[in-house]
Amino acid sequence: MTADEARTKEFEQRAGAMLGDSVTRVNGRVRSRLNQARQAAVAEIAAGRRSFWRGPALMPATGAVAAAALVALLVTAHYRAERTLPSADGQAFDDIEMLADTEGLDLLENEGTFYEWAAGQSDEGNSDGTSG
Amino acid sequence: MPAVTPGDVDLPQSTSHDRTRALNQFLASVELKAFRIAQIALRQEDDALDVVQDAMLQLARAYGERPEEEWKPLFYRILENRIRDVQRRRMVRNRVMAWLPFRRNEEDEELPDPIEQAASPEPQPVMQLELEQAMATLEKAIGELPNRQRQAFLLRTMEGLDVAQTAAAMGCSAGSVKTHYFRALQTLRAQLGDLWQ
Repeated sequence: MTADEARTKEFEQRAGAMLGDSVTRVNGRVRSRLNQARQAAVAEIAAGRRSFWRGPALMPATGAVAAAALVALLVTAHYRAERTLPSADGQAFDDIEMLADTEGLDLLENEGTFYEWAAGQSDEGNSDGTSG
Repeated sequence: MPAVTPGDVDLPQSTSHDRTRALNQFLASVELKAFRIAQIALRQEDDALDVVQDAMLQLARAYGERPEEEWKPLFYRILENRIRDVQRRRMVRNRVMAWLPFRRNEEDEELPDPIEQAASPEPQPVMQLELEQAMATLEKAIGELPNRQRQAFLLRTMEGLDVAQTAAAMGCSAGSVKTHYFRALQTLRAQLGDLWQ
């Protein structure tokens, strides 16, 4: 062993001894917290194969997914309700239905007949109303 | 299907209990050294405690069923990963903070508690003081090593792992461990040699 190797070895041993000594001087607060951490880790393995979803690491993620699903459900339900419920006066939807209805075109072709019929209906209604 | 004997019924519970006890013993044997390794790397007590706690939990959750002889290298690999995570987070935080005009002085944040640092009324032995100063110098020098060199040096010197175990813990070849360790020794000797002669 050369002199340099001997010095390196000596340095190594001294550093090792000092680091080892520093381990023994770790304070009580740290020791207590390490002990708690160890108990928690041991409890983890003692609990055996816990449910995947109940793992503490996944609980926040599971909660977030559940919350997102709930929000999505509420938004979807609200959107569907808006689409199925009539509008404020109920006429907008009726108007669209009337415009889309092909019967309207038939009415245009027989426009004159229709107005005559409509006028007659109105008169009949009025006469019914007054005579009763 | 193999025949079931009365003794088989108790086997799983007994095995589980043995593993629990073995894990407890293993963690108790490494926790203080692991804490010091983390503390030297991070220079912050609470961060060091957090990474050791994380490493313990991760080992129990992910590798608790693995053979016991694998625990040590696995544990130290997890620990080093956690240390790197904290170092990365600090780096990102420092970069972000550097852009903020109202940032606080980083040095102010790390000022030690004056009450904790107050000199003890009892006279401190000179030897103890010298030892603490030498330890502080050594810690600082180790903390300034590149990560791989620091890891190789601490695992070999403090934890006493051999080259093969250190290689397993570091996830590299035995040759790399030797190189990192040798460079760490050279650097530390160059920095501290004069003080320690």
